[in-house]
Amino acid sequence: MEGKSGKGVGASLLRKEDERHLRGRGEFVGDIQRPGMLEAAFVRSPVAHARIKGIEKPAGFEDRVFTMDDLADVKAIRAVTAIKGFKPSDMWPLARGKVRHVGEPIAVCVAATRAEAEDIAAQVYVDFEELPAVVDMVEARTSPPSLVHEEWGDNVFLETLVDDDFTAVRARAPIKLRRHVRTARQSMAPMEGRGVLCEWNTRLGQLEMYSSAQMPHINRSGLSECLGLDQGAIRVIAPDVGGGFGYKGILLSEEICLAWLSRRLGRPVRWLEDRREQLVASTNCREHDYDITIYAERDGRLIGIDCDATVDSGAYSLYPFSACLEGAQVASILPGPYKMEHFRCHTWSACTNKPPILPYRGVARTGVCFALELMMDAVAREAGMEPYEVRLANLVLPSEMPYDNITKKHFDSGDYPEAVRKAVAAIDLPKWRARQKAGEADGRRIGVGLSVYCEQGAHGTSVYSGWGIPMVPGHEQCFARLSPDGVLELRIGAQSHGQSMETTFAQVANEILGVDPDKVRLIHGDTALTPYSTGTWGSRCAVMSGGAVATAAREIAQRVKKIAGKLMEVAVEDLVLEDGKVKVAGTDKQMTLAEVAHVWYRAPQRLPADVDPGGLEATVGYKPQRDTGTFSYACHAVVVAVDPEIGHTEILDYVIVEDGGTLINPMVVDGQIYGGTAQGIGTALYEEMNYDGEGQPLASTLADYMPPDRPKCPNRASST
Amino acid sequence: MSTRTITLQVNGKTVTAAVEPRLHLADFLRDRQLLTGTHIGCEHGVCGACTLEIDGAPARSCITYAATCDGASVRTIEDFDADPVMAELRAAFSAEHALQCGYCTPGMLATARDIVLRLPQADEARIRKELSGNLCRCTGYVGIVRAIKRVLAARKEKTHAA
Ligand code: FES
Ligand code: FES
Repeated sequence: MEGKSGKGVGASLLRKEDERHLRGRGEFVGDIQRPGMLEAAFVRSPVAHARIKGIEKPAGFEDRVFTMDDLADVKAIRAVTAIKGFKPSDMWPLARGKVRHVGEPIAVCVAATRAEAEDIAAQVYVDFEELPAVVDMVEARTSPPSLVHEEWGDNVFLETLVDDDFTAVRARAPIKLRRHVRTARQSMAPMEGRGVLCEWNTRLGQLEMYSSAQMPHINRSGLSECLGLDQGAIRVIAPDVGGGFGYKGILLSEEICLAWLSRRLGRPVRWLEDRREQLVASTNCREHDYDITIYAERDGRLIGIDCDATVDSGAYSLYPFSACLEGAQVASILPGPYKMEHFRCHTWSACTNKPPILPYRGVARTGVCFALELMMDAVAREAGMEPYEVRLANLVLPSEMPYDNITKKHFDSGDYPEAVRKAVAAIDLPKWRARQKAGEADGRRIGVGLSVYCEQGAHGTSVYSGWGIPMVPGHEQCFARLSPDGVLELRIGAQSHGQSMETTFAQVANEILGVDPDKVRLIHGDTALTPYSTGTWGSRCAVMSGGAVATAAREIAQRVKKIAGKLMEVAVEDLVLEDGKVKVAGTDKQMTLAEVAHVWYRAPQRLPADVDPGGLEATVGYKPQRDTGTFSYACHAVVVAVDPEIGHTEILDYVIVEDGGTLINPMVVDGQIYGGTAQGIGTALYEEMNYDGEGQPLASTLADYMPPDRPKCPNRASST
Repeated sequence: MSTRTITLQVNGKTVTAAVEPRLHLADFLRDRQLLTGTHIGCEHGVCGACTLEIDGAPARSCITYAATCDGASVRTIEDFDADPVMAELRAAFSAEHALQCGYCTPGMLATARDIVLRLPQADEARIRKELSGNLCRCTGYVGIVRAIKRVLAARKEKTHAA
C-alpha cells in the first residue's frame, strides 16, 4: 500500500531530515552559543560510596564554585511510584551528605570555557569518609556490605510478587530445568551525549533551556517541581538530538543546576557531557539476574515458569521512570509470546552503588527475552526437539487472537508461528545442521540461534496507572494549521531524534489531506510551541503522535471541505482531497489548498456570514480505543561460528522476520530494525559496563566500552 | 595560559588566531570559527564523529591540537556543498537511509569520501574495514555500507561508459 499519491502511508519516502544533516547544518545543543555564555564543569565523586566530611572551594574561585549548600532553595529529584512498598530516594542535584556512585555530581564550576571550568573543578577539595560499596545486586539484598540509603534498612527499592502454586507442577512435570542467567550492565551510548544550555529571559520571566532530551514537556514539569517555578516560567527546547535510546528520557541533575546558575548569575550557562561522564557518571541499563525454572511436558509444551529476578537499579530512582519500572516490567513480560498455565515471578529492584538505570530500547525486554529463549532451547535439548519446534508448540496461534496471556497482556493480532517458520526457512536450517555434523576444518563450532518475541508499544493509561510513576501516558495531541500559502504546519510534543517523524508524519498528513510531504512542516520538541506530551519513549510515537497527526489532519480536511464547498457551491460530500487540491468528484472543478486557505485567512469576504469561525487551525487529540498497547512481534535467526579457544564469534547469517503492522515508511522501519539489531549484537558480544569490587567503573572510554563498530549486520530482512 | 599564534586555511579562507596549546582542532573550529558541522563524540580518537580533512587526508580533529595546524589546510563538512563526490554521497546516503539522528554523519561522510577517492575498487568487506574508525549507534551500518557501494558502482559504470 502506498496511498493514492505514492507519498503517503506505505511509501519508502526519502527523509526530509537528511538534507541539513548531510551538510553539517543540523543544530545540536553543543552547536548553540549565546553572548556572554559561561561553560560548566562538574566535580564528580571519584568513589562509589562515602560520607562527605567537607568541601573546600579553591581560594579566589569561591564565586565560581557551587555546592548543594548554595542551591539551598532547590528540591531533590524524587521519583516515587504508587506500588506498595516502594522506597523513594532523594536525588539531590549536587550530593548532600553522601555520595552513592562514582561520577555523582558534588559541585558545579563555571568559567568562560569548559577547559577553565575543569581547571577550577580540579582544585575543589572534597573530604570523603569511604564506606563499603554495594556492587553486586544479589548480594545487595541478601548480604549487604552496607546500606546505600541508611534509612531504608535494606537495599531494595521494591519487591514484587506474581504468585502461583507450583506444588502440583513440581510433582508431575516430566521436564524441569533450572538455570541462573545474568545480563551485563550496559550503556546506551548515543553518539551525542547530553547537553544543556540555560538562559534566564528577564522579559518573559522565563527559563529557556536547550537540552538533549527525549521528553521535553516532562523535563519541564520536573524542573518546575524542583525549582519551585510555575511551568509557564520554563521553556524546554530539544533541538536536534543525536540519538536517545532511552538515555535521554530523564530529568537531569545537571539541568537543575544549570537552570539555577543561569538565573543566579544572569548569564547563559552551557554544559556538554563528555564521553567519560556519559559512560561512568550518568545512567546505565539492562543489568538483570534470573534464577529461573521452567516446567514442560515431554512434547515440549510449557507448563509453567517460576523465576526469582533481580534488577540492578543503581543508586537512585530517576525521574520520571523511577527505579521500579524495569523490575516490575520483568514480572509482567517474562512469559513472552508463549502460552502456559502457571507463572510465578518474584522481583527485586536492588539498590547498589552504581549509576541508576533507565530503560534501553524495550523496557526489560532484552534481558527477559535472553533468559526465556535460553530456557526454550534447554527444553528443546531435553525433549530432543528442534528449538523452533518447541517455539511452535507454545506460541499463541493466530486463531487464538486477540489473546490475553497469563499476565493479562492483550495480544492484539498476528501470526507468531508464521514468523518462526519464515525465519527458519530463510536461514536454511537443514544446511547448517548438516554443516554442524560435518564439523569445521578450522576447528570452529557453528551455532544456530533463534529468538521470538512480541513487544508492547504505545502503552496506554491502564498499563502505567498501576505503577503510578510521575508520568502516566494515555493520549497525545497535535496542533495543525493550514497556512495561507497552503503549507501544513504540524506541532507535536514528542521529539524526533532519528525516528524520522518529520518525514513519516508528513506522509500521514499526505494520506489524509493530499498535501505534498514537502509542504508539511513538523515542529517538535519545544514546550513553548507544542501541545503537552509525555514524549518519545516506549515505541509509542508512530501510534500515539501519528494518531494525533491523523486525527488533526482529518479535522483540517473537514474544515477545508466546508470552506471549499461554500466557495465552489457544492456539497461537502462531493469533495475529495488529493494532489494538494480540493476536487469536486466527477468534474474538473477544483481549488488548491492554498487558494482555500488564502480565502479563509485573507479574503473572508468571499465566505458566507455563518461560516465556522474555527478556521484552519486546530489542536486535536488521539486516544486509542483500547489502551492496552500494540503488540508487534518478530523472529530473529542467526548463525555464528565460534572459536572454542578464544571465544571469537563471527556472524555467518542473520535473518529477521518482523511484523510491525501497517508500516508508514518501510525504509524507516527497516532502518530502526537494523539499528536495534546492531545494538543487540553489541549486547550479546561486545558491550559491558563492568565494575570492580570497590564500585569503580572499568570502562570509561569508547576504547574499553565497545559499541559494535562494523558488525556483520543482518544481510536479509523480510517484513510480513 | 600562554597562547600561540597560528595561521591556517579553513575552508579556503586564511584564518589567524591565538590558541592555547591544549585546544583541540574540533573545539577551535566549533567554538571559535562557528563551524559546528564537525561533531564531537568521544574526544579520544575512537568514534570518528570529528573526522574532517587536513591537507587532503581524513583526520580526527579531537586528537589534533589546533596549535599544530599552523600552515595546514583544513576542510570541514561545510566546505563540501559544491564537491561532486560529496554530492553523490549525499544522494546515496539519503537513498539508502544511511543516517537517522545525523550525529555521526559529517564524520562518516568525510571517511566515505576518502574511501570513494582512494579505493575505487573497494568491495563490501573493504568498505566495512575502512569504516571501522567511525561509530554509528543508530543505523547498524547497513545503509552506510550500501550508500558507499552505490556511489562506487555508479562511478565504475561512468568510467566504463566513457
Ligand atoms: S570525537 Fe574525535 S574520534 Fe571521537
Ligand atoms: S545516525 Fe545516529 S549515530 Fe549515526
